[in-house]
Amino acid sequence: MRKFLLAFVGCAIWSTCSFSATVNERLVILRDSLLLADGSKVPYITFNAVETYNSTNSRIELNIGDQLDLWVVNFDTAVHEFAIKGLTNVFTIPAGDSIFTSNVFSTPGAFIFYDPLNFPDNAYLGLSSMIAVKDHQHPSFFWNIKEHKDSWNISITTGGSVNWNNYYPNYFTINGNSAPNINADADARVVGSVGDTLMIYVTNTGQSIHPLHFHGYHVDVMYSSKFPSHVGRSKDSEGVYSFEGSVFRLIPNQPGEYPVHDHNLVATTGGNVYPMGMFLTMLITP
Amino acid sequence: MRKCALLFAIVFLNWFAFGQMDTTISLVSKIDAFPQFELADGNQIYMMGYTQLIGAPIDIPAPTLNLTEGDSVQLNMWNLSQGPPHTIHLHGLDVDQANDGVPSLSFSVPHDDTGSYYFKAPHPGTYIYHCHETSVLHVQAGMYGMVIVRPQSADTLTWEGGYSFHSENTWMMSEIDTNWHVDSIINHPHDSTATTHEILDYNPQHFLVNGRSEQLLDGSSSELNMSIGEKVYLRLANIGNFGNTLIFPVELNANIVASDGRPLPSSYSSDTIVLLPGERYGVLLESSMLLNDSIQVEYFSLNTGAVWDVQYVNVNVEGFLGTMKLDEDAIKVYPNPTNGNLVVKLPSSQGTTKKVSLINMLGQVIISQEYTEEEYNFDLTILQSGTYFLKVINEGNNYLEKIIKR
Repeated sequence: MRKFLLAFVGCAIWSTCSFSATVNERLVILRDSLLLADGSKVPYITFNAVETYNSTNSRIELNIGDQLDLWVVNFDTAVHEFAIKGLTNVFTIPAGDSIFTSNVFSTPGAFIFYDPLNFPDNAYLGLSSMIAVKDHQHPSFFWNIKEHKDSWNISITTGGSVNWNNYYPNYFTINGNSAPNINADADARVVGSVGDTLMIYVTNTGQSIHPLHFHGYHVDVMYSSKFPSHVGRSKDSEGVYSFEGSVFRLIPNQPGEYPVHDHNLVATTGGNVYPMGMFLTMLITP
Repeated sequence: MRKCALLFAIVFLNWFAFGQMDTTISLVSKIDAFPQFELADGNQIYMMGYTQLIGAPIDIPAPTLNLTEGDSVQLNMWNLSQGPPHTIHLHGLDVDQANDGVPSLSFSVPHDDTGSYYFKAPHPGTYIYHCHETSVLHVQAGMYGMVIVRPQSADTLTWEGGYSFHSENTWMMSEIDTNWHVDSIINHPHDSTATTHEILDYNPQHFLVNGRSEQLLDGSSSELNMSIGEKVYLRLANIGNFGNTLIFPVELNANIVASDGRPLPSSYSSDTIVLLPGERYGVLLESSMLLNDSIQVEYFSLNTGAVWDVQYVNVNVEGFLGTMKLDEDAIKVYPNPTNGNLVVKLPSSQGTTKKVSLINMLGQVIISQEYTEEEYNFDLTILQSGTYFLKVINEGNNYLEKIIKR
């Protein structure tokens, strides 16, 4: 019995270690614009995987136990900072400079890296995205959700000030995409079959609370940075608070196409036009 | 008029006649022809809503749909909106795509037409139904209500093997921005080619519990009138655009046991609970003492976190569960108020053993005696001045009388 137990523990340790690796990533800070649902554009800054700007922030995917060796390069003309929420280090990155940070991620979840300078201004302007740490091999989907107030992007980037106590956003994106492109994003749109285990990683890098409602299914809360006590709950409506992350597990029991809605009014509209905000569906085949 | 009556009869009788369902419910979706829904400031506004009778006024929330676990349900809707199509989305019931009430993915019901939704209700719990057609407008306009699925074995169980309770109440929180309730929005002509709609900024002036606020909550069905030892199951739902923070008096020993139609993995005690839009929670309340207080409901912005309004719903805990007031012909208690000596007198026909208890305002038993005599004297001189309760148990009946000690 003891031999069996030892073998089991040994196998468990070996299998965990075998998935762990050193992951090298590079983030490039670039400034350009964000395309909104009505075709207008506002100033925007993002972390990119390469030296070509994309309004979809780069996302980092790790397995539990991985070491992330990360270079962050600032190609913007302004100074920026870099931090991973929950870790203590904050790095200053002058224009044209870079920093290196190395961290081991030993717990699964959806974490946020961002620019904490003048918080929340720079993070609001786009410099905030997700580190997804997995403890499984299931199909996974990623929603970096964020709301925007177009006039504030202009105000902040031109040196003006904004009063966050009066924040009333008027646009909404997932992974930097506005309607109708949200549902065309293969990373965001949940596609699977009945009985599959589908994992949904969510970070809210906006300033508002986003109460998500799943049609057709209840999901299991697997991780919540805001409310660890919510882990294990079966929910059809669960909020993701500002600068927090959640992981949901969906095991669909019926086929169909079902929307996921955000019950924050501002996320349903774009430029005060309905339904130009969040429209994202889950497509489940029999 | 005769045509209308005939159509009504055909539609509704057909629904009932052919329904092979455990439960068939019919709703009418409609709009107000004139402002009739009264707010706390006395103003009246236009509404859209669901009613069960054609002539019934639109109210908030719409009629609660009461179902039993495992029911096969046929939910019929007759749209008399005079304009826009409507749907019914069964929020949280996880119905199939065809019956989900999302216009682009299932179906909508045009004006003067009917539609039926078919679904099972497998999980006891608290749910919401609302219109999903131009939902931000139609929900704000008043098209929402609650769905309650009760377990098969007993109405007073949260779910099979769950918590038992003696009574229940339902609270549905929402807000009203009167600028969204003007005739041009509520009574808008339907343009089937219009795929988008201009939406006003949302700045609600009225913050509601079951459609009422401020003084209209006083004496409303939302008030909790309960007894010491009575377990009340409070079903909460938020269909507004603001978050809610409910703060319970600690004496109510709030125990949060369910959310979104599912038992929580671990129930927990807290005097505070937050409901975001679309969420539902089940809270068990039980007081061990008399109480005259209120439950505080805060409404906070999802964008700034600022609390815009607070409503207070009265809670009165009086008497004890399973007691009735003294029958003056059967039992006499005097003098009351008393300076110290209290006489409890029963008719001579009753020679059985009686148990008499004196209980303070905290629910603590101060004196407990058993006796068989017709008359019994209590010496209360050592007690502090105040209010007490005399409880008499006689032949299986409980009696209660408030005693004032001077």
